Amino acid sequence: MPVRPLNVGVIVKLEPDFSEGNVSYNPDGTLNRAETKNILGPHSAAATLAAFYCKVKYDAKVAIGTMGPPIANQALRQAQLISNADELHLYSDRIFAGADTLATAEVLRLGVSRMNNGLGADIVISGHRASDGETGQTGPQTAWKLGYPFIGNVIDFHIDQEGKSIYAKRFISLYGFYDVIEEIQAPLPVFISADPSYKPSFNTISERLSLARNLNEARNKADNFEKYLQVFNSEGLGADPRYVGLPGSPTIVYKVEKIPKAKAKRRVEFVDGNDTVKLDMVAKKLIQLMTEAPIK
Amino acid sequence: MERYDVAIVGGGTSGLTALRQLANLGKQAVLLEAGNTPGTKNISGGILYSKKPKNGRVYNIEDVFGREFIDDAPYERSITQYILHATSKDKLYSIDLTPVHEYQINYAYSVLLSKLIPWLAKEASDMSEKMGGGIISGVHLRSVRWEQGNSDIVIDTDELEPFRVKAVIAADGVNSELAEVTKARNKFSSEQLYQGVKVVIKLPETILEERFKVTSEEGAAHLFAGDVTMNHIGGGFLYTNRDTLSLGAVYHMDSLMDNPIEPSRLIDTLIRNKLVAEFVKDRVPAKKSSQALISKDEEIRQHFMAVKLLKNWNNLRSEYYSRDGIKRLIESGKYGTKDEIESRIAFLENELVEKYNYEFGDNYVELEYSTKLIPDGKRCRMKAPYYKNILFVGDAAGRGVFVGPRIEGLNVGIDDAVRAANAVARSLDRNNFDEQYLGNFYTKSVEESPYTRDMKEIDKDYLKIFLDCSKNIPKDIVGSRYGMIFKLMSSGTLRGIAVGFANMLGFDRLLPLVESVDTYVNVPVELADRLGKTIDSNYVPTTPSLQERIAKLDYNDDSIPHIQVTKPRSEFMVKMASLCPTRCYSYENGNVILQHEGCIECGTCAYETLWRHPRGTKGVSYKYG
Repeated sequence: MPVRPLNVGVIVKLEPDFSEGNVSYNPDGTLNRAETKNILGPHSAAATLAAFYCKVKYDAKVAIGTMGPPIANQALRQAQLISNADELHLYSDRIFAGADTLATAEVLRLGVSRMNNGLGADIVISGHRASDGETGQTGPQTAWKLGYPFIGNVIDFHIDQEGKSIYAKRFISLYGFYDVIEEIQAPLPVFISADPSYKPSFNTISERLSLARNLNEARNKADNFEKYLQVFNSEGLGADPRYVGLPGSPTIVYKVEKIPKAKAKRRVEFVDGNDTVKLDMVAKKLIQLMTEAPIK
Repeated sequence: MERYDVAIVGGGTSGLTALRQLANLGKQAVLLEAGNTPGTKNISGGILYSKKPKNGRVYNIEDVFGREFIDDAPYERSITQYILHATSKDKLYSIDLTPVHEYQINYAYSVLLSKLIPWLAKEASDMSEKMGGGIISGVHLRSVRWEQGNSDIVIDTDELEPFRVKAVIAADGVNSELAEVTKARNKFSSEQLYQGVKVVIKLPETILEERFKVTSEEGAAHLFAGDVTMNHIGGGFLYTNRDTLSLGAVYHMDSLMDNPIEPSRLIDTLIRNKLVAEFVKDRVPAKKSSQALISKDEEIRQHFMAVKLLKNWNNLRSEYYSRDGIKRLIESGKYGTKDEIESRIAFLENELVEKYNYEFGDNYVELEYSTKLIPDGKRCRMKAPYYKNILFVGDAAGRGVFVGPRIEGLNVGIDDAVRAANAVARSLDRNNFDEQYLGNFYTKSVEESPYTRDMKEIDKDYLKIFLDCSKNIPKDIVGSRYGMIFKLMSSGTLRGIAVGFANMLGFDRLLPLVESVDTYVNVPVELADRLGKTIDSNYVPTTPSLQERIAKLDYNDDSIPHIQVTKPRSEFMVKMASLCPTRCYSYENGNVILQHEGCIECGTCAYETLWRHPRGTKGVSYKYG
């Protein structure tokens, strides 16, 4: 029995390009968002790469969605170049503006259901977090809204299409140790977030051949990415205005403050190099510090 | 374990030809290339021939890649001049060997492999993908094995899971690891090898055409013998590319072992020859040393400004001197007339001189330094170029035609590759991979190749043309050494007998006579001294140091050394301290020590070391090739 193709959805975020020469500032030192170039964020790129892995390995259908203003097109083109995606979705509407993570998750939930010709996705992939927001909440909240199990910090995975499950490896911290690898199995559909260190590997001849073919296809598709682009507004997604944009955002930003500089804990004391008594103290102090210092 | 019909190891001109030929025949094959992409690890002297021998047939590249090769492939120029220069200090005696060069050819193109191979790779993989195959880059073969009771070959690589194939075509070059792991042949020794060292030199297109007196499609080849060899057997070459020159020195390894001189010094000597210097000369900016005291900040500011101006100057000048460049610049709307472009170039030069302490003068610009071993087909071709169901082609099989001024390697490999692909396709049709059916058939096919004949015996027609070209050489110069040979060869009837007699003796006994210091050094020096014209030139090129040459190369360092020194005190290894082209070996306290980081994978030291290629994507990458 032929297995139904795997449907993959990726949610990505357009982020300011913080690389040199691309950032633009207002006179008061804040970020000038209109002037700063936008790119696919590095964490979103990791998610996109995970989708490419599905494309190469399982010949999956891949759809990529983002919520944002119409200028997000370029980031989607970039995502298509990385992943050879079949569909590019832009969820764009004035009423989405001012959304917090929860209201964003609502839009993305609706977006995922429109993906892959309305079939949705067996795996939804997001990045770890965005480099401008840093909350890391949108992914898990979207998973919660979709009702899918969520696996975070995934570094490697494979899919059992017949058994309809995913086997994933992820980083966790355990008893104070970081980078412990946990292996986990979950049923499909599933939501995973790709660890920033995620890097797919292709270790067989057939995967490498498929890799070359997909890279080629991706280049051709990205050259005409508009052909694959679909723009959805609130109505197109069937969004309930109560749950999206500012009305759907329970977060209240009370006040934004500059983070004060922490006081330095170190104290400087000058010691005369000829004063043997003082030097003796210095030596004793160093020995004491070195013996007491925790071994890392 | 995955199964494929054929694996080809090595994505050079031969490997890609084999892949394309198999695809043409409807066969599935996967090609493994260790470099990041095909074309990053390949070096050649730089002429690709297409030939039409009178007796027998050879397969040329266009027979496999079609007419598109001639129409679209990014080769450089069609070589229409072939001149040999005998050198002695600033004197030079030149012999026009163009008729020798044109002997039985369709064309001869100068090529830079880093440009040509990606084109071949695309053509071959597009076709091969339709048959379920293709090119897999960044993969380094580790070993091959046969399972009991099965002729299938299991291939182990450093990067991929093992896979199974029915036959292998080994196109992994002169330092073939397939030959090494299967022991199909011995490692080539210094008597069987040439070491070639090459630099690619920048020279704007129209300046080049004016200097070498060629049209926009044509090019020239110049060979050098005499004192430029520094008493080694071999010579120098200079080929014109589109807007670069390939300048190289190729010497027999045993003569280098007798008299070890660093390869970069050999190339420096060649560059300093008056004629070569005049050939490579260009207008080059250089920073004058400055006594003025300026702050660090100001120095940095000036540096950045100067770099920007230099880049603009360089781009504009290259465009100005390129084919139709002036037209393109005017069409772009930036400049109204040719004069405007010229005054802009002059303005930029003036800015650099006046404000940033630069001066413009005669010098040359080196782009890339490279080295390669070349198997001397006469001495090391594999008599039966196969092992079980692995077929060896080109350099891997030790095949190439190097007889006097005849220098052919690429086309020989291409001919082999077609024969190997045909043999494998025939075996696939019958599902018979026995030595009798595959290996012997391929050996027979290769033996039938006119190239193999040229590796075994003297072609008397070729010899006649050569002698006709050199008939103005006074007999007394050659008389004392080759008087008898010349006399025999100069007469029509006697030549046949003489060649017959020489061929009876065989190349083995004849070669030490012909390939000697006399032929490559003493006779040319005497010729130049007595009859040569003096080259009038005051320009002495400033050659870059080896460190500067290495600094221009791209490396992706493999933390695991791919070479292991096993005999740190051997005479051979001590010589490597001089002969390694990137000075990877140093001699300390009686031991030779290796630092592999600068290795350019030529294999000069391979004979007495455990030598492997670096793992996939690792090691040096060439930009010109």
